[in-house]
Amino acid sequence: MSTFLQACVNGLLMGGFYSLMGMGQNVIFGVMKIVNFCHGEMLMVGMYLTYILWSVCGLDPYLCVPIVAVLMFCLGGLIQHTLITPSLGTKSFTNLLFLTVGLGLLLSNGALVLFGSEYRTITTAYSQTNIGLGPVTLPLPRLISFGVLIVISVALFAFLKYSTTGKQIRAVSQNSVGAEVVGINTKKIYILTYGLGTALAGVAGALLTGFYTIFPTAGASFGFRALIVVVVGGLGSIPGAFLAGIFLGLLETMVALFISPSYSDLIVFVTFIVILVVRQTVIIRRK
Amino acid sequence: MAEKKRAVRIYHRNLAMVLGLILLVFILIPVFVKSPYVLNVFVLVFYMSTLSMAWNLLGGMTGQNSLGHAAYMGLGAYACCLLITKTGANPWLAAIFGMVVVGLVAGIIFYPCFILKGPYFTLVSIAFGEALRQFIINSSFFGRASGIGLPFGKDSWLDFRFGSKVPYYYVGLIMVLGVYLLMKKIERSRMGYALRTIREDEDAAAAIGINPTRYKIMAVVVSAMVAALVGFFYASYIRYIDPELMVQAKSTESVLPAVVGGAAYVEGPLVGGLIMIPLSEFLRAKYSAILPGINMLMYAVALLAVIRFRPAGILGWYMHSNVKTFIDTKLLRKPSVDVLEEVELAQYHKEEV
Repeated sequence: MSTFLQACVNGLLMGGFYSLMGMGQNVIFGVMKIVNFCHGEMLMVGMYLTYILWSVCGLDPYLCVPIVAVLMFCLGGLIQHTLITPSLGTKSFTNLLFLTVGLGLLLSNGALVLFGSEYRTITTAYSQTNIGLGPVTLPLPRLISFGVLIVISVALFAFLKYSTTGKQIRAVSQNSVGAEVVGINTKKIYILTYGLGTALAGVAGALLTGFYTIFPTAGASFGFRALIVVVVGGLGSIPGAFLAGIFLGLLETMVALFISPSYSDLIVFVTFIVILVVRQTVIIRRK
Repeated sequence: MAEKKRAVRIYHRNLAMVLGLILLVFILIPVFVKSPYVLNVFVLVFYMSTLSMAWNLLGGMTGQNSLGHAAYMGLGAYACCLLITKTGANPWLAAIFGMVVVGLVAGIIFYPCFILKGPYFTLVSIAFGEALRQFIINSSFFGRASGIGLPFGKDSWLDFRFGSKVPYYYVGLIMVLGVYLLMKKIERSRMGYALRTIREDEDAAAAIGINPTRYKIMAVVVSAMVAALVGFFYASYIRYIDPELMVQAKSTESVLPAVVGGAAYVEGPLVGGLIMIPLSEFLRAKYSAILPGINMLMYAVALLAVIRFRPAGILGWYMHSNVKTFIDTKLLRKPSVDVLEEVELAQYHKEEV
């Protein structure tokens, strides 16, 4: 029973990250209708930024989070402005897809060239601290990260729901032409959205560094899971993305517990294909 | 009219001469180049370009952006290797077996997936590739993560096993040419037109009587079978395969020549492959010891530059450049389009009568 509870808690804590990644992907996909295939690499960039801030300036990884968020926002805005917006005009889905794939290659191999392939870790005074809660133990870094990302998720939800900019983002995602007609600067919204998505991925990376190893391809598995979260949680839905991320985290740990850890990836991918095909069939039938 | 016919004949002769000359150069390369390293780069160009052409049938021509072609290639390689090692079958028969198996698997798996459009199809292709890889890693029948090796032995054509790289070079050249001709044939057939109509507007295609699902399945099966052929070639050449063959990065790598070369053209993957792969191999050999990843970094930069500044690829840029006009008019003495059409029409009428 206690192993089961422990697995539940671990799944929950990991699922939070999938949620955060999924939310960023969701915003980008919703507004620009492109899949951001370099989302995982953005997480990796966030990790390396935190690592640099920690090793050079001696900042605590959790204090780095706002700095990383701002830096990643600027990076995302820059990428959107110089690369993606000009290509949006060509209407070629293939090109847009491989633009983000190419960016992913650029970032992961750039990290490989700059930092080498060795695994890096950030150790803090509280890295090894555990908190016992009944039958389960909670590692302190994971707990702090989870708390921070809950706060960020709620803030994002409120931002999109109530602020003027958030309303503009939602308007563009529902109908970009209509939004432009009523006077919303869609180009600006695109930059904001991509920056926001990248910043969320970067923050997820910064929060991960407390207990995860840093290496150039660290983001790959998170990147694909973010896509799963978007598809399963529903387009444009922040609470949906949150629940889907938690579901994914729990699914992984449950498969690892009851079947075998080496099967968890296989089950995740197969579940994803089945959910996608079944959902799309249902949607078509309903029409 | 006779004069026009003569002009067209001269143009066709010149074109055939240029193409023949290029082919001759490729045939003669192993006679003059003895370095196994250079030959290896050429073999790499051949099979990666073939894989890229397979992708291009589905991605460039049909508009279904698959990112799982390494999985088809890997599955083909596994099917061949398993048949050879478990039953001792002849490799050439195993190649056919591998192609059939992969064609069937692709058809069955993707039949329900074609209701998914645009990005969803891409996502399923990635998930399919990863799921297959994880399945192989977990299956003792497939040799788990340690992979399968093919038996070594004497050089023989029957077993497609050689110590030297020259036979692989020629087989690779034949493979790339054969697949190119097949793709050219498909492009000009009813299927090619149907696929391009589907790419431009699927609903419109369905409205004029093209069955999108049927043609997409045909495209995916042919594409997967060609990828399986490449898998067979790879396995026979390297003589060892493991699940690393099917990682996501390999699928991406197989798409890059097509996108850089020009995905709208059948020749795109060939052009892209001939330019990018030797460059990438050169960088890998020269700098990978000090800067690992530099060759893929260069690949990424080239890809981004092409997409940003020449969205139609290198070939798309060439098609509208002055270089092509110069080569056409001065070297090939190409007559104007009107003359070409007139002669073709006359030929057509003659055949009708």
